[in-house]
Amino acid sequence: MKWQIAVDGRTIEIDSEQLAAVRQIEPGVYSVLLDGASYEIRVIETPNGLSAEARSRRFAVDVRDPRDTRRSGTSAMGSGRQNIAAPMPGKVVRVLVNVGDTVDVGQGLIVVEAMKMQNEMKATRPGHVIEIRAGAGQTVGAGDTLLILE
Amino acid sequence: MFGKVLVANRGEIAVRIMRALREMNISSVAVFSDADRGALHVRLADEAEHIGPAASADSYLRVDRILEAAQKHGAEAIHPGYGFLSENAGFAAACADAGIVFIGPSPEAIRQLGSKTAARILAKRAGAPVVPGSEEPAANVEKARKLAREIGYPVLLKAAAGGGGKGVRRVSAEHDLESAIRDASSEAERAFHNSEIYIEKLIEKPRHIEIQIAGDHYGNLVHLGERECSLQRRYQKIVEECPSPFVARRPDMRVAMGEAALKVARAAGYDNLGTVEFLADNDGNFYFLEVNTRLQVEHPVTELVTGYDLVQLQLKIAAGEGLPFTQKDVAWRGWAMECRVCAEDPDNQFLPSPGKIEQLREPGGPGVRLDSGVYPGWNVPLEYDALLAKLVTWGPDRNAAIQRLKRALSEYGIIGIQTNIAFFLEILDDPEFRAGDISTEFIPHLMAKRKPPPEPAPQLELAVALGALAHARNASEPAMIAAKSEASRWRTAGRGQLLR
Repeated sequence: MKWQIAVDGRTIEIDSEQLAAVRQIEPGVYSVLLDGASYEIRVIETPNGLSAEARSRRFAVDVRDPRDTRRSGTSAMGSGRQNIAAPMPGKVVRVLVNVGDTVDVGQGLIVVEAMKMQNEMKATRPGHVIEIRAGAGQTVGAGDTLLILE
Repeated sequence: MFGKVLVANRGEIAVRIMRALREMNISSVAVFSDADRGALHVRLADEAEHIGPAASADSYLRVDRILEAAQKHGAEAIHPGYGFLSENAGFAAACADAGIVFIGPSPEAIRQLGSKTAARILAKRAGAPVVPGSEEPAANVEKARKLAREIGYPVLLKAAAGGGGKGVRRVSAEHDLESAIRDASSEAERAFHNSEIYIEKLIEKPRHIEIQIAGDHYGNLVHLGERECSLQRRYQKIVEECPSPFVARRPDMRVAMGEAALKVARAAGYDNLGTVEFLADNDGNFYFLEVNTRLQVEHPVTELVTGYDLVQLQLKIAAGEGLPFTQKDVAWRGWAMECRVCAEDPDNQFLPSPGKIEQLREPGGPGVRLDSGVYPGWNVPLEYDALLAKLVTWGPDRNAAIQRLKRALSEYGIIGIQTNIAFFLEILDDPEFRAGDISTEFIPHLMAKRKPPPEPAPQLELAVALGALAHARNASEPAMIAAKSEASRWRTAGRGQLLR
């Protein structure tokens, strides 16, 4: 059986027999010997697919099953809208604007804190606040939409 | 010596202190918040006490609960570590009132030196050179604006009660002052329960060099040389070394800085360990910055080069023993360098990356010391500092220490959260860093000239693809893997014995 693996977007084709070079050491840890070179690959599952680390580098990996033809779609964003997303997991400290406010470029919108570091998210273009999805004290995940500008 | 000591801290430093306690046959008491029930310091302690919810204000900063825990467990002394209550004179005084020894300087010394403005005045009077700046906190925005104008931009805002880079902001022009003050004082309020901010002149391309001091209750004071701490991001140190490559080329400078540090310490009636921080310019002038009246995060580099265990020294001094050595006994051998391994993403503005450590491989071997506060499966909480571990190496010279550090970093694998491990390899390979040509602007400068990493070799990509494929196949056929794994054979054998 042939497999197609995308490593940081580059597609590599692999035959089942090539798996003989791989040995599982512990859960998620694989030793790979190729032409006498030794590699240790550490693999975990993330919400965006597999993440692997080797030789102090990190790789995004997408393993495509030859029988599976599904492709994940990307969500299109409305042209006039701007989603302000949390840059890191954390807690919302303050919301600096209200729904309906007009904001300028560089204006502070919301402050998120994690590990005692505060991050003030600023508007990157002028607009109106049309929705606020997070309040002070709320815990948010990386990438969660906090507020929407139009 | 004490029989039992409570460690009023968490993470790697709590573990570090407990190691010293065990080496001295002293029982340790851990305190922990809701978020830290499973933390490494709780696992390694002899005794442990819950002190409140995850937020530090409700747990690690609660003087009353920590003293209650100490009394309940019969601890004779409290080691505050760094951060949290370590530089809180009120806490040191409350310990004394409760009949518990605070492992650190006297409340009076902390009070005098803890406020950066008061410390500046004291240092100036004692004859140490100081950076131009305000001698009292900026009470309001108007006053701050006036002060900043007098000093001249660019200026630095700093939390009066601070340390560790919390509540620090650079302000280049007046229109940024107001929002910078708002951010800095609210950060300071959260971190230290004190929102006071002071302003000082920013010295361009300075080096951050500090002197370790130690004193006993009998007036003996020594310095243990300098640490170079210029590599910082967001005013927080990430790489430190001893000696400083800058001072190493100017032998008189260590003597002069050591003397200046001891003048300040003497003027404050200082005892126990402390660190006097200086900024040095390119000509070798140095200016007093502040005193950290506690154990410093980067203390291991001094330990490796001088051979003294600084935590054990703190305990001995606090227990009333005299300094076991004099200034002329202090010698510096070889070179030590430390990396602060943090849960943060260098590719995304060093933003914090709390979460679960799925896998962990720790370095070892010759000349390597790892002071870590984490383990595989540990969920790094978002409530506290991003520091996971300190990786320190020693070598006979700077190059050897760097080569060891690179080797140790290449062995270090923390999977599941973002860390700055790979970023340290970039720093250690930088030609300016290798030449010792560094300042506090080194990291921003490195970020600006940073290039995307070279394309990985095709063989490495193939290996990654193979590893990931093996993993994906395991995940889709878990039953088959369980049957094949070594662990299950042990389990089968164990079960067989139980049935026998």
